Amino acid sequence: MAQADTDGVTDKRPLSPHLTIYKPMLTMMMSIAHRISGVALYLGAFLLALYLLGLAFGPGAFGAVSWIANGFIGHVIVLGFSWALFHHLLGGVRHALWDRGLYMDPKGRELLAQATLGGGIVLTLLTWILSTLAN
Amino acid sequence: MTSRTEFISGRTGRGAAYVSDPSGAGHDRFMRLSARALLPLGLLAAWFIVGLSGKSFEAARSEIGRPFPALALIAFIAVAAPHARMGVESIIEDYVHDAAQKEKALLVNKWASIAVALLWTLAILLIAAPR
Repeated sequence: MAQADTDGVTDKRPLSPHLTIYKPMLTMMMSIAHRISGVALYLGAFLLALYLLGLAFGPGAFGAVSWIANGFIGHVIVLGFSWALFHHLLGGVRHALWDRGLYMDPKGRELLAQATLGGGIVLTLLTWILSTLAN
Repeated sequence: MTSRTEFISGRTGRGAAYVSDPSGAGHDRFMRLSARALLPLGLLAAWFIVGLSGKSFEAARSEIGRPFPALALIAFIAVAAPHARMGVESIIEDYVHDAAQKEKALLVNKWASIAVALLWTLAILLIAAPR
């Protein structure tokens, strides 16, 4: 690809924004995470629909699907689903702010990316703590 | 957001190049409107789904049997399923370049989103509908 680069000038040229050669940055990672969390929620919704169907059809059927929400695996699935939901939800809020031209400067967009990443984790923890206290 | 309009030019001939099909604006508007609805619905759904975790059969049934959690979860999937379908459509259009495979993937995605919404709603109705 780049065998002819000898004068060092080409090193300073901006690269085409292609995943394999682009310097990873938070806003780009959050964009990818937004898509991944969206797909994860889609798949998770299938699991939850299966769980709800088991719940609807009686104790026998529930026994076959209760692993989706109960026990260690169930808690990991529901924890992951709730985190993906909060992460994706705050990603939507981030995009809504950007749609209005807010937080688009280098500092603002970095701050917003950090806030949505941290906010998703905080909301997940808060929901689980409150849910545990309420039940 | 599939481009269907065939652009005919003297240089390229029919079908060799494509022009915009105005469906992009509708896609954009739908994603943003549904996202607005999903802000409260998603928070409610997260709360009720987390609440289900670890519950016994009887406890989970009585929770979903209450009108508000049942209606909130049905409203959530009714908006979330088409939102998910449109989102995955964008991903398919970005990464699946083979025309035949793309058609297949879009079709699977369409029916998967319809199926998940119907199964989810049916299950909740079976639990919560007054009989």
